[in-house]
Amino acid sequence: MTFVGLIMRNIGSRPLRAALTASAVAIGVMAVVALGVLTTSLKESATQILDVGNADFTIAQKNSSDIINGTISQDDIDAIGRIPGVRKAVGALISTDPYDENNPLVIEVGLNPADQAPFGLNILEGKAYTADSDDQVMLGYALAKQIDKTVGDSITIGGHDYTVTGLYRTNVSFGNSTMMFPLAYLQGLNRLSGQVTLGFVQVEDGASIARVRAEIDSQYAQLTTIETAEDFGRADRNLTLISAANTGGSLLAGLIAITGVLNTSLLSFFERIREFGIYRSIGWSRFRVIALVIGEAVVVSVVGAAVGVLLGWGAINVLENLRQLKGVFKPLYDAGIFWRSLGFGLTVAFLGALYPALRAALVAPITAVRRE
Amino acid sequence: MSRRPLDSSVPAIAVHDVSKRYGRTIALDHVDLEVAAGEFVVLTGPSGAGKSTLLNLLAALEKPDTGTIFVRGHRLGRRSRHLNRLRRVEVGLVFQLHNLIPRLTARENVEAAMFETHRGRRQRTARADELLERLDLAERATDRPPTMSGGERQRAAIARAVANQPAVLLADEPSGSLDDHSAQLVFDLFDEMRDGGATILAVSHDSRLEQRGSRVISIADLSTSAA
Repeated sequence: MTFVGLIMRNIGSRPLRAALTASAVAIGVMAVVALGVLTTSLKESATQILDVGNADFTIAQKNSSDIINGTISQDDIDAIGRIPGVRKAVGALISTDPYDENNPLVIEVGLNPADQAPFGLNILEGKAYTADSDDQVMLGYALAKQIDKTVGDSITIGGHDYTVTGLYRTNVSFGNSTMMFPLAYLQGLNRLSGQVTLGFVQVEDGASIARVRAEIDSQYAQLTTIETAEDFGRADRNLTLISAANTGGSLLAGLIAITGVLNTSLLSFFERIREFGIYRSIGWSRFRVIALVIGEAVVVSVVGAAVGVLLGWGAINVLENLRQLKGVFKPLYDAGIFWRSLGFGLTVAFLGALYPALRAALVAPITAVRRE
Repeated sequence: MSRRPLDSSVPAIAVHDVSKRYGRTIALDHVDLEVAAGEFVVLTGPSGAGKSTLLNLLAALEKPDTGTIFVRGHRLGRRSRHLNRLRRVEVGLVFQLHNLIPRLTARENVEAAMFETHRGRRQRTARADELLERLDLAERATDRPPTMSGGERQRAAIARAVANQPAVLLADEPSGSLDDHSAQLVFDLFDEMRDGGATILAVSHDSRLEQRGSRVISIADLSTSAA
């Protein structure tokens, strides 16, 4: 019998308790995985907007809870386009509308036809709408496939019929699931005449992005420039809140899992006082007793973590298919999830079993021998 | 981990003026005892006279209130590392109530005593099997204590106590539950240990064991306050 074999034997002798402990860890890991993937994916989707049209940076309304709900004067974007060093500044209006039961939240982009190329839009089929039309629409190719529409077809949104004039691809994946309208029309539809949601700026070759950003930040107090994901996090309070919820949720999940492991380990300790005393009386060091208790918790927790990863994956699938998140949330898995889950399991095992392990190590051999 | 060589002039066990009380109950009252290396001493006395308490003190399971205890020349103190080594290598203890781990098999109970020694897994298993066979328990090696008879549990506990070839074996009623055949196997093992230089101090009311001892003493005779 090896020491690891002894650990496995002890776990196997109380299968129900081991299963319940592993369940506590699994639920914690599931929460960490689901929240982590949700947050990472939402961040990734949100920050993809920074790459639209190969812009050097994006302009948004300052202190907005969600930069996609902010408004910027189109005149300001036009003025920014004239700042020395700026090659092109494009304004786009973004809104959402339900399409059908399967697509309850479709992103609509209002953009002038002349700004489509700088916006990174590539027409795959058909042609652009005209700038002043009120019954024309273009579809991202992924959305067109999803709703089974192509050039020349008619679609109805909000009781209004539109003709599909073209299908497009953008340089960011989420853009391919959007639909696009003439800017003036979408502004009118949303009662936001002369307003856009975001501005996308490309600077001249050789010009300093930092200098241009500083110029805009100083001239337009109501605006903020976003170049990096960190800038995005500062500008978008929703993303900050999601990150905070992720951290808080993970800590809470950890606390619940630690409590679960502590509870069962402590119960196990009280039941096994005599056993620990016998180990000590036959010469086991305190360190070995600690290793036994923590080893048992680690094995159970790692198994729980593995189950938790699978449960987390299942939870993500459920979230992905939720009506409210359909088309908005596209899960993004990374290898770090596995390591985070393993780290979570090991941390939970160590913290949950440490106190019972120390208590076990301090059992006086004679007390245990007399305990009948 | 091997035993320290011992000067033959140094007693294997030396107890000087040791007292131990539990609340108002005096378990040991100014006890003196010396056992030479290689001796087989049988300690007798009525129940509650402190025999088991003395064995527990010698195995460093608890500390005396007063007095000093030397085992193989080493004074038993508070240094935990030394005490672990003492319990693991120098001293083997057969408990009156066996104290086997119910969850482990007979073989695993014996093997558990050999963790933290120089023996690897296979050597531990081989040593456990050797002792169980020697004590006629080979067929019960994979059985757990709750399914074994009292005599089988007692022999398994003896196998565990001698697994690390201790220099001093402390045995509390080691033959109390044994039939003649099983007792003979245990006595033969004790004789072999003695021939190898081990010291044995056994608490017993068993006349068969008393006949094997080189010295039989009564716990009452050890108390200097009674003299």
